[in-house]
Amino acid sequence: MVAYSQGENEVYEFIRERIESVPHLEALLLLWNSRPQPWSVENLAKRLYVAKERAHALLTDLVREHLITAVAGPPAGYEYNSKSVAQDQMIAAVDATYRREVVRVATLIHSRTPSSLRDFARAFRFKSDKD
Amino acid sequence: MGAAVYILGMLTSAACSVLLWRGYKRGEKKLLLWSSLCFAGFAISNLLVFVDLILVPEWDLYLYRLAATAVALALLLYGLIWESNK
Amino acid sequence: MMAIFLLGFTAAASITASLFFLRFWRDSRDRLFLAFTAFFLIEGITRVLLVFYAHPGEGSPGIYLARLLGMLLILSAILKKNYPSEL
Repeated sequence: MVAYSQGENEVYEFIRERIESVPHLEALLLLWNSRPQPWSVENLAKRLYVAKERAHALLTDLVREHLITAVAGPPAGYEYNSKSVAQDQMIAAVDATYRREVVRVATLIHSRTPSSLRDFARAFRFKSDKD
Repeated sequence: MGAAVYILGMLTSAACSVLLWRGYKRGEKKLLLWSSLCFAGFAISNLLVFVDLILVPEWDLYLYRLAATAVALALLLYGLIWESNK
Repeated sequence: MMAIFLLGFTAAASITASLFFLRFWRDSRDRLFLAFTAFFLIEGITRVLLVFYAHPGEGSPGIYLARLLGMLLILSAILKKNYPSEL
């Protein structure tokens, strides 16, 4: 097993904890790289080669994670949510890592515990905020 | 002694049901919905045992108790089979 | 007859549920799932035993204790999840 540097460890932990699938990651990075320009659901679905319903579902998930926000429009769409400098730095690092290590990141995502189980276990935390 | 077990069972099940329901509201994962309903069913079943054995012993609620548990487990199994790999 | 059927159904369903939770524990290593595995396994085994009781509706001290154990395992797992340093 290759030892990762400190920064890489944090990136992989972020991906493991917060990113549900490869299309989720690609949607997030797409919005990150084109910030502050918003994307509509239709355009994003075309760009990611997924069905519009799937695109809408994963955008909803990203909004729930506070990584992107919905834009009222017109035209309605979604844009990257620049919540904090720390988050911006993390997303930049995730972007760089994904460009370098596509296979490793995809493998990591696919080996995640299903998100239903994570939510099940998390439900029993008294403090409701994800930290 | 039995009464204490069933009261504790009711409280534990109710707590699990509430926590899972809250988790379902937050993340919309159906597994938590079915699990929450299951534990709500267990709470009802425990309540019925308490009513059956302690409060109104002249009634026999045994089949209702079992039915509540069976329905609760059926809901849970449905959730486990269809939703646990998502 | 219906009672025996429901007992059997409940026993099989509980044991099946416990196997799911066993897999969840194996995949995630979260002790909470182990507690649920034990809880459902105890529920299943006690139901199987109740089939052989003349008055299954009333239970027995042994059955009470076993089910109490199952509940305490879940409660303790929840507490450990939230207050890990205190235990």
